[in-house]
Amino acid sequence: MIIAERRPIPEILRNIEDYQKILVLGCRGCVAICSAGGDREVSIVAEAIRLARTLQGKPIEVLEDTFIRQCDPEYLEPLKDYQGKVEAVVSLACGVGVNLIADLYPEIRVYPGVDTSFYGANLSLGEWVEKCRGCGDCIIDRTAGLCPIARCAKNLLNGPCGGSQGGRCEVRKDMPCIWHEIVERLKARGELERLLEIWEPKDWRSAGGDGLRVRVREDLRLNGGK
Amino acid sequence: MEERAFKLSILCCNYTNLSEREDFFEVPVSLEIKRYPCSGKIEITDMLRALREGAKGVMVAGCMPGTCHNGRGSERAEKRVLGARKILEEIGLEPERISMFFVNRLDGEDFINKVKAFYREILNFELKGRERK
Amino acid sequence: MEIKSHLEELLSSGKFVVTAEIGPPRNADPEVIKKKAKILKGYVDAVNITDCQTAVVRVSSMASAVLVMSEGLEPVMQMTCRDRNRIGIQADLLGASALGIKNLLCLTGDHPKFGNHPQAKPVFDLDSIQLIKLVRGLKEGRFENGEEIKGRRPYFFIGAAENPFAEPFDFRPLRLAKKVKAGARFIQTQIIYNVEKFRKFMERCRELGLLDKVYILAGITPPKSLGMAKYMKYNVPGLEVPDEIIKRLEDAKDKKEEGIQIAVDIIQQVKEIPGVCGVHIMAIEWEEAVPEIVKRAGLYPREEAPSFMPPFVVEKVVEKVVEKPVEVIVEKIIEKPVEVIVEKVIEKEVPLEGEMAEEKIFTLIEILSDLKASLKSLKAGMESLEEGIARLEEEFLRKKEVRPIRKEVIKRPEERPVEREAFIEEKPKIEERVEEVVVKPEAKEVKPEVKPEVKPEIKPEVKPEVKPEVKKEEEPKEIKPREEEKLEVKPVVEKPEAKEIVEEKTKVEVKPEVKLETKPEPEVKVEAIKIGGLKGIYRPLSERAKNLPQDLYMEKATGEIKEVVIGNGDRAIKVGGVSTLNFHFFEGEMKNGVKFAFEILDIKPEDWPESLSKYYRDVFHDPALWAKKCVEEYGAEAICLYLVGTDPNFLNLPPQHAKKVAEAVVKAVDVPIIVWGSGNAEKDVEVLREVADIVGERGAVIGPIVEANHRTLAAVAMGYNTPVIASSPIDVNLAKQLNILLENMGLPLDKILMDPSIGALGYGLEYTYSVMERIRLAALFAQDTKLQVPFICSIGREVWKTKEAGLPTDELMGEAESRGILMEALTGIALALAGGDLLIMRHPKSIELCKELFRGLSMS
Repeated sequence: MIIAERRPIPEILRNIEDYQKILVLGCRGCVAICSAGGDREVSIVAEAIRLARTLQGKPIEVLEDTFIRQCDPEYLEPLKDYQGKVEAVVSLACGVGVNLIADLYPEIRVYPGVDTSFYGANLSLGEWVEKCRGCGDCIIDRTAGLCPIARCAKNLLNGPCGGSQGGRCEVRKDMPCIWHEIVERLKARGELERLLEIWEPKDWRSAGGDGLRVRVREDLRLNGGK
Repeated sequence: MEERAFKLSILCCNYTNLSEREDFFEVPVSLEIKRYPCSGKIEITDMLRALREGAKGVMVAGCMPGTCHNGRGSERAEKRVLGARKILEEIGLEPERISMFFVNRLDGEDFINKVKAFYREILNFELKGRERK
Repeated sequence: MEIKSHLEELLSSGKFVVTAEIGPPRNADPEVIKKKAKILKGYVDAVNITDCQTAVVRVSSMASAVLVMSEGLEPVMQMTCRDRNRIGIQADLLGASALGIKNLLCLTGDHPKFGNHPQAKPVFDLDSIQLIKLVRGLKEGRFENGEEIKGRRPYFFIGAAENPFAEPFDFRPLRLAKKVKAGARFIQTQIIYNVEKFRKFMERCRELGLLDKVYILAGITPPKSLGMAKYMKYNVPGLEVPDEIIKRLEDAKDKKEEGIQIAVDIIQQVKEIPGVCGVHIMAIEWEEAVPEIVKRAGLYPREEAPSFMPPFVVEKVVEKVVEKPVEVIVEKIIEKPVEVIVEKVIEKEVPLEGEMAEEKIFTLIEILSDLKASLKSLKAGMESLEEGIARLEEEFLRKKEVRPIRKEVIKRPEERPVEREAFIEEKPKIEERVEEVVVKPEAKEVKPEVKPEVKPEIKPEVKPEVKPEVKKEEEPKEIKPREEEKLEVKPVVEKPEAKEIVEEKTKVEVKPEVKLETKPEPEVKVEAIKIGGLKGIYRPLSERAKNLPQDLYMEKATGEIKEVVIGNGDRAIKVGGVSTLNFHFFEGEMKNGVKFAFEILDIKPEDWPESLSKYYRDVFHDPALWAKKCVEEYGAEAICLYLVGTDPNFLNLPPQHAKKVAEAVVKAVDVPIIVWGSGNAEKDVEVLREVADIVGERGAVIGPIVEANHRTLAAVAMGYNTPVIASSPIDVNLAKQLNILLENMGLPLDKILMDPSIGALGYGLEYTYSVMERIRLAALFAQDTKLQVPFICSIGREVWKTKEAGLPTDELMGEAESRGILMEALTGIALALAGGDLLIMRHPKSIELCKELFRGLSMS
């Protein structure tokens, strides 16, 4: 899922310094799972804002709410009720949610409450690691399920490079060299010859090189929308 | 003596704190004691709200690790105190204003001593703050 | 054809070559590079120029290569994939070739993280192997996208780097093979200090047949200092420095000299390894060492390189530096390039066509095979679609078969009527009993439990009220389920006994007995119901269990519940003193049995149910009279005075009121008194302090004490030496904790009664039961001394405040009074079984019911 992290409180405060009444809006999707923007985090951020502003001598009224998701126009509809009632919204959803709010509700001043980072796995509570770059052209069928686009610092397709030492990446010593792992695994499966073929350069268009990525499934679109 | 008369908030579990207000007569502060079924139930929001409502320091008290009635509740409280401290850092307050204390179960004296120690620490912050002004 | 580079010429003719490396400056000064080139000229065959090595910004490799060429030295340009995408790479390569650069080393490049611009976005559009392939493509006249290069193609002698010591070690030669396959013609290795390991690597390459296809140059670096050697050993990934090298440097007096010697030694060694075609000396920032090394290694002098200059730069430079050569060289340039290039172009045209034709055919073949492959996958797609449809059809057909299974499920409800029949069967039995009872009452006259306290005066008031109700009860009996019916037999029994008031209180026996014995043997039940006692013949346990070994069912407790004395004088009663679970007389003893106390209020109750209040209505206004009635008429052995009026949320009467009431009650009766406060911790402190003054000398019990007010109240109790009620909210640990606190205050355990805050039937009875049981088990079997304290249960209050106790008689809920009585009695009985030692109840009949049952249970 999408992993995000709370933005520092001073930055959020800077965004809302002119306001006296705001809404902190959470999301029960990805950000809730990575403990950055769910119900609990909404109350923590709201309380932190209130505390900071009280200490500054500029009290602020902070409303709290959490939607099921913010990446779906239908689930954002309850926002209509807040229009005109709050001066700004600090959304703790990932960048997708904040952008969608900005698209659909241009009058609402929406500010991001988290920095959205990567697609990661929840290895254990409090530990999330990137596993995929969303390059749109999956190649891990040939690398035993381990993705070098995401997990090799140099995105090598004909790895490993000369800096792979002790199974560790020279750029990120805290990370294993993913090519080392791929070689070992394919070797164990007796499929090492696959790596002897030269991998052609990647088409980076599907990875965002082409600009904004859109996906449409005509077979799902009912005429006239939902 | 105005400087010394501030409010401290104590968030604790049933088993750590038996004392009543009268035991703290040596400590010239107003104490707000809130008891929870377990220290692990104390949320970061509770700690921050206590500061917002005027406390100069928040003491979170839980049973010694390994003796928590519910297993690891006090350890969870300790982690939450860390989270709350992070926010204090970002806001610009001394992070030690929220502190975790592990107390022997049902040991009133231990608890009182720790409260006094905490009071002294907060007093330091307060005096320093006033000096700067 | 293209002129080969000098390096390529030497290598292809089997000569042992020497190359070196130059690091460009971090400024725009061309002189630095030229100076370095001058140092190396004549000692090396070609020199590498690094491309922003370690991601630190320096003059670009291409620009430096041109400057090197101006000094008459052949450059090896290095290109990394870190900073350029394939468009930039191809552009630079075309440019490099146009400028006359012929040697190219293809690298992936160090990550920006290592350099001085870590925030830069790393490109890595390609990796080194893809780059090699791209360069070969350019050589062959193809851009990366397959498009044809029209005109002069770039020519490069393609090289790559390899690290023989990186991991996975076994995979390195294979990767080298990939590079060769992609088009690499020469390799420069990473710095070698561990010659043995390098030898193994070369051996493996030989096995793979690579040594015929590629020229391998061993990388050599003289360690400039001990610090540098250690840094390389510990901090540079991919470098292996054996300890001997470190030792040699440590022992050496002149480190630099030793460094050079080390380099020379290694050169000598690797020269012997088959397949090594040269050395690549990397003495970055110590270029002066290179000539020395080359000389000592016996590799001097080098072959003269044919002069070569980059096309445009030279003219200007040469003009400035040397006058004479200007003319000569210019001429040459003008002549040769023109001629040569033209020639080249012409020559190439012919092979161009041929190659292109071949290539065209190849492309055509590729396209056709692609189309075929697509057709195949189309077919496969069609097939899977068909399969899917077939499966769907099958499933739909199959689903019809699923329904019969549901029919089977329906069969279960049919079983229920069977159970109902069982019910029905039992009912007639009960009816029979009813008849018998009606017959027998005549024999009742002798009532063993006539209590002398009964006063005939008051009786007439109550009797007529009781009787009609009792009569009414008869009819609905039959409709109600078992238990209620059994219980209702009681009033029937009493009816004919209209003689004495005693009936009212007593003889509600039969039913409990029926209940008990019905369970094991429902059919045998119909026996003579004794009036004033439990029905049936009692068989002692010793008889019933004679076939069982005693240790199978006996478990003696290790602890004992303390005995608490309530009241003083000859009316004092003792509570507790049990050494076993209640009523387990085969395992221990209950010294004092279960005691009862009647509850009275300090004010007139407004909302008591009719079925209860009718017994006390005449005395509601006066607690003293009320207490008296309980004792004299109903035989109370203790009174519990509930100070509900002092509750701040109710009437909030002052402590003085409580004091007055207490005084009155104390004067009216001489049985032990229990004073139960409103339950509001703060208020109770005030009130009980006042009341203790009055009741203290009577040895009355005061309470409830909770954690919040335990200090003050404990002190009060100790002052008057009265027992206390310690009240905890249905929690084992809190109960124990409170006992400990009270003990810490100085109150001995045999002055404490535990109130576990009981719940009435339907309002938490089971929970209370389980908590009390756990406490009692801990006290008796787990040596938990702090819990070895009797229980006090305030049942009356809890039961009679429920909705169900107050609902009127109707078809659904049954008869109001029995309902109330049964609720209270059941609660009392259940809690007594759980360990209750002192029960505070209200309805006289429910107390009688309980007493009768306990009497029965007390028979061993």
